[in-house]
Amino acid sequence: MITLSDRIALFADGLQAAQGELVQCSSWDDVWEHAVALSDETPVVSPAAYEQLQRGELPDDTDPLRSIADRSVGVTVATLAVAETGSVLLIEPTPRDRAISLLTRHLIVAVSAEDIVEDLAEGFLWLGQQPRAAAYATFVTGPSRTADIERSLTIGVQGPSRMTVAVLG
Amino acid sequence: MSASTAPFKTRYRRSLSDPDLKPRLLDFQRSWRESRDAQVQRLEQRTEQSFDELRRDFAAVKDSTLERLDDYIAEFRANAEAAGATVVELSTAAEAVNYIAAVCKSRGIDLVVKSKSMVSEEIELNHELEQRGITAIETDLGEWLLQLAEERPSHLVMPAIHQKRQYVAEILGEELGREFDPDDIPAMVASARDGLRRHYLSAGAGLTGANALVAETGSIMVVTNEGNMRLATSLPDVHFVTAGIEKLIPSWADAERQLQLLPRSATAQTLSTYTTCITGAQPGKEMHIILLDNGRRAMRETNTIGDALRCIRCGACANVCPPYQIVGGHTFGHIYTGAIGLVNTTFHHGVEEAAGPQGLCVSCGACQTVCPVDIPLPQQILEVRHRAHEGGHAPLWERIALRLWARPRLFHHLMGLAAAGSGLARLIGLVQRDHLRLPLPRRLGWRSVPAMPLRSGQTLIRSRRPLSHLWESSSAGQTVDLFAQCLADRLLPTAVDSAARLIEAGGSSVNVPQSQHCCGLPAFDAGDWETARRMAKHTIEALEGSERQIVTTAPSCVISMQDHWPRLFDHDPEWRDRAAAVSERIHDLAEWLDGPGRLPDGCLSKGSSKSWTAHRFCQASNRNDAGARIDQLVERLTGETAKLLEEPEVCCGFGGLTSLAAPEVGEGILERKLACVAESGCDTLITNNPGCVIHLRAGANASGTHHETLHYAEFLAARLPKNP
Ligand code: SF4
Ligand code: SF4
Repeated sequence: MITLSDRIALFADGLQAAQGELVQCSSWDDVWEHAVALSDETPVVSPAAYEQLQRGELPDDTDPLRSIADRSVGVTVATLAVAETGSVLLIEPTPRDRAISLLTRHLIVAVSAEDIVEDLAEGFLWLGQQPRAAAYATFVTGPSRTADIERSLTIGVQGPSRMTVAVLG
Repeated sequence: MSASTAPFKTRYRRSLSDPDLKPRLLDFQRSWRESRDAQVQRLEQRTEQSFDELRRDFAAVKDSTLERLDDYIAEFRANAEAAGATVVELSTAAEAVNYIAAVCKSRGIDLVVKSKSMVSEEIELNHELEQRGITAIETDLGEWLLQLAEERPSHLVMPAIHQKRQYVAEILGEELGREFDPDDIPAMVASARDGLRRHYLSAGAGLTGANALVAETGSIMVVTNEGNMRLATSLPDVHFVTAGIEKLIPSWADAERQLQLLPRSATAQTLSTYTTCITGAQPGKEMHIILLDNGRRAMRETNTIGDALRCIRCGACANVCPPYQIVGGHTFGHIYTGAIGLVNTTFHHGVEEAAGPQGLCVSCGACQTVCPVDIPLPQQILEVRHRAHEGGHAPLWERIALRLWARPRLFHHLMGLAAAGSGLARLIGLVQRDHLRLPLPRRLGWRSVPAMPLRSGQTLIRSRRPLSHLWESSSAGQTVDLFAQCLADRLLPTAVDSAARLIEAGGSSVNVPQSQHCCGLPAFDAGDWETARRMAKHTIEALEGSERQIVTTAPSCVISMQDHWPRLFDHDPEWRDRAAAVSERIHDLAEWLDGPGRLPDGCLSKGSSKSWTAHRFCQASNRNDAGARIDQLVERLTGETAKLLEEPEVCCGFGGLTSLAAPEVGEGILERKLACVAESGCDTLITNNPGCVIHLRAGANASGTHHETLHYAEFLAARLPKNP
C-alpha cells in the first residue's frame, strides 16, 4: 500500500495526462472560494455538493438538465478517486445528480484525499460491493474530448471543457 | 449509393483514388503504435506482468464465459430484471430492429438519439428505423459525421478517420446552414454540441451499446470520450442497449481487467474519459437490453473461429495492418473493419460480403500481436478465405495458376521455358540488372519481372564439389537434407546454393532430395486446400523416409509445414502423422546457423565498408520465431553492426497472391518499406524469405533505387573463404 501523499501525486499525474487540473483545498469553504473565483455567474451545485457547501444554485427539480445547461461553473462530489488513472468516481442515480457533471462548462469535483484509492481494481472492488451505487456510476477522467476530425485532439465536446478536481484535506 | 455501401470492387477503386488516404492512415498507424506501445509498457511495469500474460488472463475469462454463455446470460437477465430492466435475447438483425421499432411505436416515439454502438451498425438500425418512420440521430461526433455523409464507419473506434477536414466542413455547413473554416477544428467540434442539443431534448429514446455486460449485477459498462452517451441516457425516458451476447463477463473484477486492455489498445489512453456503469432502469424510466446473436453462436461452434468472440472491439488489429493503411476500412472490411471484420463479416453478413475484403490480407500476422485478447486472426482469415474459395469466389486465373503450380513436372517444364526465354532476352539486351525490360500495364509497372536464371539452385549445388568443412558445429559429420523451396530454387538459385555452402561450412554434408517441389503454401494461402493437400503430400513423400534434419532458406515453408499442414490433414490421421514426421525435422536456415549448425562468432568477418540493414520477414517475426531476427545472426557472424531499419517487421507487400490479385496494395506496402530502406541510407538490404527478396528486388529495380537486395544466405556465403 502506497502512502497518501504518493497517491495524491500519482493521481495528479494521471489527471494532468487527461488534461484535468488539480487544486488542494483545506475546507469546503476553500472549494467554494475556488468555484466563485472562476466566473461572475453563481456556481451550480449537485445535491451532494449542496449538502456540504450549503450554498450555490441547485438544478431544477422537474427539469434539471435544461435548467443548468451550459452554465459556466458547476460543483459536484466524488465518492472516490483512482490514483492510477487520475479518475474520479461519480455516483449519480438521478438526472438531477448528473446534471452538473454533464452540462456545465467548467466542472469542479471535490474529493477527500483519503478517498483516493490506489488503482482501478480497488475502485471496482468498492463498486462491486455497493449494488445501489452501480445504478448509475461513472469513472470520469478529465474533461470530455474527441479526436474524430482528422485525429485532432479537441477538449470539450458535449460534456465539460474544463475539469478541476479539488482534493480536500 | 454512398462510397461505403457500394460493391467491393467499386469501394476498392474509390479508396485508391483518394490520394490523402494512404499518408493519413500511415501517420495514424505510426503515432498510434508509438503511444500504444508506451501505454502497454507502463502497464507491464505497473502490473509486473507481460502484455502476453495480461491478455491471456483476460482471454481465459472470455473463453470460460463463452463456454457457459447461457448460464451467464441467465444470471445477467435475472439481475438486470430485478433492477427494473427488460432483457430480450434475439437471434437476427431483423428481430432486433423490429423489437426496437415496436417499443418506439407503442410509446409514440419517433426520435431516437444514439451513442456509438457497433451492433446498431451491424443491424443497420438507422436505415431500418427510417423505413419504419422513426428517426435515429447519431450523437457521437464521428458517427454523426458519417450519418450526415451517408457513410459507414471505416474504423471500429475512429469511425470517420477517412474524412478530410475540408469534407467535414462541407457536410457540417450543409447540416447547420453556416460556413466552417476547415482549419478551425475546435469550431467544428463545438458545433456538434449545439447541433445535437435539440435532438437530445426532443428524443423519446436513447440507444447505447455496451462494452461489457456484467453478469453478477446485471449491469452494462460503456466506455466513451465525448460525454454524449451520458446525455443520451439521461434525457430521454427510454434507454435501449444493443449488445452482442459475447459481451458478457462474470464480474466487476473482470470489467476492470478488460479496462486495463481496452482503452490502451483502442486510443492509447490509460482510461477513456467516461467509464459508465448502469444497472437497471432509472426511476420512472424504461431500459430495454437487447442481447443479439446474429451468427455469434454459429461462430462459437465453428472450428478455429470461436475465439473471435473474445473481441472487445478496440480496433488495434486495423492499426497495425499494412493493407488497411493502403485502402482504409471501407474496403478492408464490410461493416466491421480491420482483421476482425474479415473474420466476423462471414457470420453476421454472409460470405459474399466477406469474399472481397478477405483477399486483401497479406497474412503478415501483425494483427494478432497487438490483439488484447490474443485472437488468432491470421489463421481465421485463412479459414474464411477457404470458405470463400469453396463458395466459388476465387478468380479464375488464380485457380488455373494454382492447378499448374501443383503439378511438379509441368511446373518444372514451364520454369525451364521461362529460363530459356530469359536467356534469350539476355542475349538480345532485354535484361537490365537481372530484370526483364517489359512494357507492363500501369497497374503492375511498379515491380519489374525478374529474369529467370538458367540454372536452378538444385543444379548449382549438384554441379559443384562440396565445400570443405571449416568449423565444427554440433551437427558436424551429419548429412542434412536441403529443401530448396520452389520459388527460391528457380528465382534465387544463389540463395539456395549459399545456404548449402553455409551448412557445409559447419561440417555437415548437404543432400538435396530429388523430386521436391512445393509445400503447398500458395494454394493454402489462396484458400484452395484441396490443391494445397496435393502439393503437401508430394513434398511429404519427397522428404520422408529418413531421419535427417531438413533445412530450408524459406521461413514461410517452415510456417506452412508447422502451422498449416496440421490443418490440412486435420481429418486424415495417416497423413497427419506423416506430415508431422517431416515437419518435426524442418529448420529455417537462420535458426540452424544459430542452433545445430551454429557457426562461430565473427567467423565471416571481412571488414567490408558497405552499410547494410535488414527487413525481417513479417510472418516469422510476428510469430516470434527464433530465426526471425536475421540482423542479429548476421551481426554475430560478421562482427559488423547493422543499421536498424524503421519498422523492420512490417510486411514488405509480397503477400503471396495478394500482390497479384490486388497489385495496388502490394505496391503501397512496398513503397512504405522502400521509403524506410532509403531512410536508412544503406547500400545493402538483406532479408530472409525468398518471396520478400524477389519482391523487394523487383520493386527496387522498377523504382530505380540503387541499394542491393540480398537473401542473407547470399550475403553471408559471399564471405566464406574460397574453396581451396
Ligand atoms: S495478417 Fe496482416 S494483413 Fe492480414 S489482417 Fe492481419 S495485419 Fe492485416
Ligand atoms: S480482434 Fe482483437 S485487436 Fe481486433 S478489435 Fe477485436 S480485440 Fe481489438
